[in-house]
Amino acid sequence: MKTRRILAAWTALVVATGLTACGGGGASSGDEGSGSGGTTTMTFWHNSTTGDGKAFWASTVADFEAANPGVTINVQAIQNEDMDGKLQTALNSGAPPDIFMARGGGKLADIVDAGQVMDLTDSIDPATKAAVNEGVLNAFAVDGKVYGMPTSVLPGGMYYSKDLFKKAGITETPKTMDELNAAVGKLKGADVQPIAVGAKDAWPAAHYYYFFALRDCSKDVMAAAAKDKSFTDPCWTKAGEDLQAFAGTTPFNKGFLTTSAQQGAGSSAGLLANHKTAMELMGAWEPGVVASLTPDKKPLSDLGWFPFPSVTGGQGDPAAMMGGVDGFACSAKAPKQCPAFLNFYMQKKYQEGYAKAFQTLPASKDAQAVVTDPALKAILASYNSAPYVQVWLDTLFGQNVGNALNSGVVNMLAGKGDAAGIVKSVNDAAAKG
Amino acid sequence: MTTTVPQASLSGTGARVAPAPAGRRRGKGPDWRKRLEIALLTGPAILVFLAFVILPVLMAAYYGFFKWKGFGPPKNFVGLDNYKIILQDSAFHDALLHNGFIVVLSLLIQGPIAVVVALLLNQKMAGRGLIRVLIFVPYVVSEVIVGTGWSLMLQTTGAVNAVLAKVGLPGADWLSDPKVALWSLIMIITWKYIGFAVILFLAGLQSIPEELFEAAAIDGATYWQTQRRITLPLLGPTLRIWAFLSIIGALQLFDLVYIIWGQYVASTAGTSTMATYMVSNGRNAGNYGFGNAVAVVLFLISLVIALVYQRFVLRRDTEGALTERKK
Repeated sequence: MKTRRILAAWTALVVATGLTACGGGGASSGDEGSGSGGTTTMTFWHNSTTGDGKAFWASTVADFEAANPGVTINVQAIQNEDMDGKLQTALNSGAPPDIFMARGGGKLADIVDAGQVMDLTDSIDPATKAAVNEGVLNAFAVDGKVYGMPTSVLPGGMYYSKDLFKKAGITETPKTMDELNAAVGKLKGADVQPIAVGAKDAWPAAHYYYFFALRDCSKDVMAAAAKDKSFTDPCWTKAGEDLQAFAGTTPFNKGFLTTSAQQGAGSSAGLLANHKTAMELMGAWEPGVVASLTPDKKPLSDLGWFPFPSVTGGQGDPAAMMGGVDGFACSAKAPKQCPAFLNFYMQKKYQEGYAKAFQTLPASKDAQAVVTDPALKAILASYNSAPYVQVWLDTLFGQNVGNALNSGVVNMLAGKGDAAGIVKSVNDAAAKG
Repeated sequence: MTTTVPQASLSGTGARVAPAPAGRRRGKGPDWRKRLEIALLTGPAILVFLAFVILPVLMAAYYGFFKWKGFGPPKNFVGLDNYKIILQDSAFHDALLHNGFIVVLSLLIQGPIAVVVALLLNQKMAGRGLIRVLIFVPYVVSEVIVGTGWSLMLQTTGAVNAVLAKVGLPGADWLSDPKVALWSLIMIITWKYIGFAVILFLAGLQSIPEELFEAAAIDGATYWQTQRRITLPLLGPTLRIWAFLSIIGALQLFDLVYIIWGQYVASTAGTSTMATYMVSNGRNAGNYGFGNAVAVVLFLISLVIALVYQRFVLRRDTEGALTERKK
């Protein structure tokens, strides 16, 4: 009968759909260790979407697979600004990448709290431990256990164009804020936008506040704030006032509020790469980023570096450095080949390759000799002689306070708030988190 | 939906032959078959709706009672704390204000312009089809492309300021100046969605019978008298539906603001909406419990406004409709 045929057709459709669903579900992403025949597959997320960096990881992964038959690594390159969100979604979905980017600090601590990162303390090769500064490894430590492996140290400072400085008649790099203000004036006189800042992504603008805080606050005050997330010491407000005074000299590029940091030639890094601006406050990843945005995609030949100037009345050491550490961590359910891969890329040969591909400072001291870029050499010298190195404040304080801090600074720079407003937005954020 | 079943098939299945007077029971056979048919046909759609619309709302309500970092299961129950903070947060009040502004201005600007354009395009003229297409094209282009294109042009060092400078007019910080940014956003929204209004109104205009216009012409009505007394009232249902869609869309505005101003600076530029507030205080700050609470608040506001609008404004349009429950 007609209805029986309809019913039969529907039953067939439902059964067929059910079978295909079951069949599809069976093939998982291979996160479990050895399957049949001992093949292991791992997924690897990094943030080099273009050029030499992407090629470096591709070849390093190929070498690791050759040295470890039966292991396959699927590499995925994700844009830096999208990384945090995608990683969070993946970690929560129960199918996280086995190897993922991590920068330590509060963000990593949140992931550790949820039990989603592998403890690497006992898996670190003695050779790796010897080659890396203890402080660098400690950037990935939570409660005394290490949860990540560094790839590079990224101290920050002012990158500048030597040619544009010469054009404006600036003969010496500024050592104090007064000298920096004078340099800004000379650049304006030579019709050059003095400083580019990518305030659309918030953190580049916030870095100015971090550095003023580094100069204005003593080492102990910063360590205490990292523990209890409160900004009660007056040095925090002074840092905001110093930044406001500096911003009042209008040193930044036109429309900085909607300029991105690294995306395209209109970004702040792009402006520096194309000689549309003379300075940019960034970390040691900058030479690589600028090189990808120059017209001929080669490193900027006149790129120089000087440390953030000293501030009058500041209680921080004028030679102190601030910087981050880039690295990778293993997810809690990753196979045991994951720590093996981390140790693999820490070998001198690959750290040297990393330094060349990314034009940055490798974490391994053995490989640092390969750095030839004059700007990077200047940073390395300052880094090795710094009395202490502070981690970026938004990494240190965790995502909630860090995000509020960044937004508070952008508000102040846009004229929507003041120095006290920055502290207030941080305290408000603590209530929401 | 009731359908009349011919006598022949009823007797064929051995059911009662007497013509049942609108009774629900016509016999066991056809009844469960019909219900099964309805269930099978609507089942997938209902399942998808439950799974992708209702379930996330319930989950958001659940997560909104916790303070949660987004990693692992939520553990820190805080009751209505998140909601208290939201309702007292000045940043949320700002976002609410911006949303209200956008709702009102969308209606006030797009409505009259779209009606006039639709009246214009309703006349026969050369190139009418082409103009209709050109007006409708912005609506079809994706939000991401619209946002990216306009944000590149409206940059302080972008094309619009360059053209203005060539003509000798002063440019402005279209996107970064808090006094101007919201108006830039309104302008982009109007450019994008006016095509939709025009097409809706054109369709509405087509459904007005010609005789009414002829009768009015015979009675000696002027053009504007005709529009005011005949066209606009009969365009009423279309106008009300369009306003409803416009209000709901404006309340939930997110993509244009997110594309143009990015993840962080919308509130600084004075263009934050409730949805961007949710993303910046929930996702970017890692406060997932708080973010879910904002989502629930946004849902409740939209729901209340939608229900009030349906009850009072759309009531006369749904009277006598098929969906009206029979007494």
